[in-house]
Amino acid sequence: MSEFILEVENLKKWFPIKRSLGELLRGQRRWVRAVDGISFKIKQGEAFGLIGESGCGKTTTGKLIMKLLEPTDGQIVFKEKDVTCLNSEELQEYRRGVQMIFQDPYASMNPRFRIREVLSEPLYIHKIGTTEKEKMKLAAKALQEVKLTPPEEFMDRYPHMLSGGQRQRVATARTLILSPSFVVADEPVSMVDLSTRAELLQMMKEVQHVLGLTYLYITHDLSTARYFTDRIAVMYLGKIIEMGSADEVIDHALHPYTKALIAAVPEPVSGKVGIIKEVPIKGEIPSAAEIPQGCRFHPRCLYAKPECWDQEEPELFEAEPGHFVACRRYKEIKKDSINEKVG
Amino acid sequence: MDKLEVKNLKLYYYTSKGVIRGVDDVSFSLGPGETLGVVGESGCGKTTLGTALLNMPTPPGKIVGGEILLDGEDILKLTENDLRKKIRWEKISMVFQGAMNCLTPVYNIRKQMMETIQFHREMEKKEAEERIKKYLNLVGLSEDVLRRYPHELSGGMKQRIVIATALFLEPKIVICDEPTTALDVVVQAQIINLLKELKEKLNLSFIFITHDLSTEAEVADRIMIMYAGKVAEIGTNQQIYGPQGAAHPYTQMLMAATPRLHQRVDNLAFIPGTPPDLLSPPSGCRFHPRCPQVMERCRIEEPRLTEIEPAHTVACWRCFHE
Amino acid sequence: MNIKGIKDNFRDFWGEFSKVKYGMVGLVLFFIFLLIVVLEPILIPFPEAGKRWRDITYWEDNPKNAAPAWTNWFTTKKLTPQSILDDPEIKEKKAANTQVLEAVFKYDYFYDVPPIDLILRATGKGLINMVIELERPDGLTLEVTKKSIKLSSEAPIRVSLDKEGTSMVGEFLKSYEDPVILQGISMSTVKPVEVFFVQAQNRLLDNPVPLKGEYRIKLTSVAVGSNSFLKEPEITVAGRVFGLMGTDASKRDIWSGVIAGTKWALLIGLLTSAVAVVIGVFYGVTSAYFGGTVDQVMMRLYEIFQSIPLLPVMIVVSAVFKPSIWTMILMMCSFFWVSSVRTVRSMGLQIKEETYVEAAHALGASNRRIIFKHMVPQLIPYAFASMALQVPVSIVYEASISLIGLGDATIVTWGQILHDAMQGGAVLQGIWWWIVPPGLFIAIMGMTFAFLGFAMDTILNPKLKTR
Repeated sequence: MSEFILEVENLKKWFPIKRSLGELLRGQRRWVRAVDGISFKIKQGEAFGLIGESGCGKTTTGKLIMKLLEPTDGQIVFKEKDVTCLNSEELQEYRRGVQMIFQDPYASMNPRFRIREVLSEPLYIHKIGTTEKEKMKLAAKALQEVKLTPPEEFMDRYPHMLSGGQRQRVATARTLILSPSFVVADEPVSMVDLSTRAELLQMMKEVQHVLGLTYLYITHDLSTARYFTDRIAVMYLGKIIEMGSADEVIDHALHPYTKALIAAVPEPVSGKVGIIKEVPIKGEIPSAAEIPQGCRFHPRCLYAKPECWDQEEPELFEAEPGHFVACRRYKEIKKDSINEKVG
Repeated sequence: MDKLEVKNLKLYYYTSKGVIRGVDDVSFSLGPGETLGVVGESGCGKTTLGTALLNMPTPPGKIVGGEILLDGEDILKLTENDLRKKIRWEKISMVFQGAMNCLTPVYNIRKQMMETIQFHREMEKKEAEERIKKYLNLVGLSEDVLRRYPHELSGGMKQRIVIATALFLEPKIVICDEPTTALDVVVQAQIINLLKELKEKLNLSFIFITHDLSTEAEVADRIMIMYAGKVAEIGTNQQIYGPQGAAHPYTQMLMAATPRLHQRVDNLAFIPGTPPDLLSPPSGCRFHPRCPQVMERCRIEEPRLTEIEPAHTVACWRCFHE
Repeated sequence: MNIKGIKDNFRDFWGEFSKVKYGMVGLVLFFIFLLIVVLEPILIPFPEAGKRWRDITYWEDNPKNAAPAWTNWFTTKKLTPQSILDDPEIKEKKAANTQVLEAVFKYDYFYDVPPIDLILRATGKGLINMVIELERPDGLTLEVTKKSIKLSSEAPIRVSLDKEGTSMVGEFLKSYEDPVILQGISMSTVKPVEVFFVQAQNRLLDNPVPLKGEYRIKLTSVAVGSNSFLKEPEITVAGRVFGLMGTDASKRDIWSGVIAGTKWALLIGLLTSAVAVVIGVFYGVTSAYFGGTVDQVMMRLYEIFQSIPLLPVMIVVSAVFKPSIWTMILMMCSFFWVSSVRTVRSMGLQIKEETYVEAAHALGASNRRIIFKHMVPQLIPYAFASMALQVPVSIVYEASISLIGLGDATIVTWGQILHDAMQGGAVLQGIWWWIVPPGLFIAIMGMTFAFLGFAMDTILNPKLKTR
């Protein structure tokens, strides 16, 4: 068996834009290129982070992998099986193996369902457990796995009667009840209070070790990504622009965009009040409907040279062992920034 | 001088289920040109505090006690009319949480800003327009956003507009409620930089409300930590974030639970349990059920906010003993 | 959802509902209507009113166009109200071949205008000889009639004392009335019953003074023959004012009609709205959930149905086919479902985008499961509210169809009563008691369900909710 559980090859998702009458007559079509050709491989048992600002296509990628959206182009291979196109039976089978935790745990549960019903829903769908008693036993086990004990205390509550952290635990329990091998976690802690955020992440890590899970962790928050993931990929406007081990990418970022992101993250240390922070980036993120020519980051890049917009878009390549970047000038930029620091 | 002093402020919500003590006996002061950070988890009363400072509690909330002294004048004693004419937006303004998403989609920015300005003060159209342009420049926007509609603007631009709107009538104190929460990191950093610049240029005082300790570290001169409607700790930036560390166990634990970007940690700390239900808060210190250093006294008696070193006050029995 | 869940939900709902005042008014009214339906046999004096509404013989003892009895309270001249004397003192003797039955009816008369008629009803068989006597409070006894009836089998007997008493009254008048006046009068114009109840004195025809007090009507029957008998005699006092709501031109009791019509109004209203809303909800949800071409086609079909005006179609259908309540309900169902589709569809589109629906997709839930488990339950509150609001519409539609005379002839509905009133010229003749009760009932039932609907709307529609 391959070391990779999930392989994504040149995955694309373009959404058509509603055309004006003029465009319709001229036969023009315009697209929002939400995901514009990304490739990555996730190893068995690791936590892979997908990082980017809002609108960079990270959530769309998650939904493509969940098969909640049909890709425009490209291939998804799960456990050496092409899952890009599946019939309904195969899809059902696939969904037992691949599960998702949503950003907002409250919205992801039907407010009219009790926890008991929330947890037993996947069992009914996949016809697991013959009797009600058996199903409840499985549900109780799942609640114990996410450290909601004693389970009986939670079974009859409604989602709104739980705290944010508890809700996200229930959402996690619901995905674990099918014993999946791969979980897509889309910003699982962004709506949870700080004091319980770490607890939740730790629980997810423990579950990962116990059950041998693989995570795709989608987030905009570099700090939790560093804590939670082994490898990360940074997305910008539908493309991966840097990928490597979490420590490597954050401590030795190569791409100017990643550098800007890292510089922008606030740190809880004293003595920064009077200082205006340098964020090495220009302007704002353009619309995914009008992606710039050449390197798509060049209009915002402080180091851009004509080659960046004249030549073709740079592809992701291995700059250092296990560390990929999509920038032609990363070496010069590295030198530049070292010089700056020295200067 | 524009000094704000809040003494024993109480704002309770009278709901059908009982009385929720949203802000319970909160005292602090804010000097001119100072930024006070208010930090706490959701439901700790930090937004409630913001609305209380403008004396406009959201129903069913009522201010039931305390004083808010602005240059020695208690604004809680003013009539609604006086408040609108003399205080709100004139002296204290507020950037509400999510205000950038509350711009009306059917009007352009000019109309929206114009309406706000004319609602608060009678002003010639031309003068108002001049003022709008001045403040747009100050927040780093060009004048052509005036013709645009909210959906044509990015989150960062909308937030700048909301900030500009709050500054129109030249208040000296601006309350910012989670101004950067919904924004991406890069934009967040830009907005924080903007607030810092404005503070310098206009000599403003800020009350910066957020749940994020890291952001607070970058903007606030002094930090007030709130827990369950009460003040847990007030200290300077150095006292809270400095190497010596905060004094209150809650602050310490929050700090430990904050993931750091430039450190690899294997196990983040966390605070067990959940914040208390404000309908029936725990006896004694409200943090005691979650506190690892709990003592017998914490369960029975409520600690008062006490100065443990200059400018550093804490409400914790442990701190007084040592 | 388990039973406990439903119970809890209901308790929450009730807690909120009981706070809405007009909702409670609606609920009380609704229960009153239900009570009316259940207690119909007790409430109405004519148990077969519903079935025999158009049978003239069923109503023949009643006065025509009589005002409600309570109008007496507002007039100085009291009119005799309709009443039935069914509790006579009976003495029965049975000999070998004869049955002798003596029944004495007591009647307290204290009105100013005498009844129209006194009607004796009984059941008998064989050869029956009857003597009917009237004992007046002033001590006079009149032998009203002597009559022999031969019935080959058991049959009802009906004797109108007004008709039978003509000859006797002639005698009576001769002894008391001024002969000069008597000469100028044809006996056929004298109504015997009117004479029974006036004081015996001169000028009693011109200037009748009512004789108030207890009257005794004595029936003596001798049934000859081995199987002959007479039983269950009773006397109907055919009054000039009638019951709670008076009578119409066909002598029908309007109260009975209105009460008997309640169940039909409820049936039409509830059945039509329930079927229509259920169809509407499923149509709307399906359209919203599948979207795309399915949605397009379904919405066009919906628009077609929506743009056809129902009333003309119903008129045509009722004219072509034999008008029946069931075809009417069917027609209304097949058009009224459109009323909830738009809202349901837009709500469905909203729910479809909810994260929990996406989560259900991610769990592998089938379309059917998502529609029935996640979407429809969210719409039930709306469905109930719109059902309640649809009820009055259905009732008014049925009334409209009946009003133009195309209603179901086998039942009685409020609309039909109104139709008859219009035909009978009730408005011109000022017979308001023929128009007001059915109209008022239609209005109150409409109001009942409108109140219920609004109340549910307020509670269940979060947009209208204020803390």
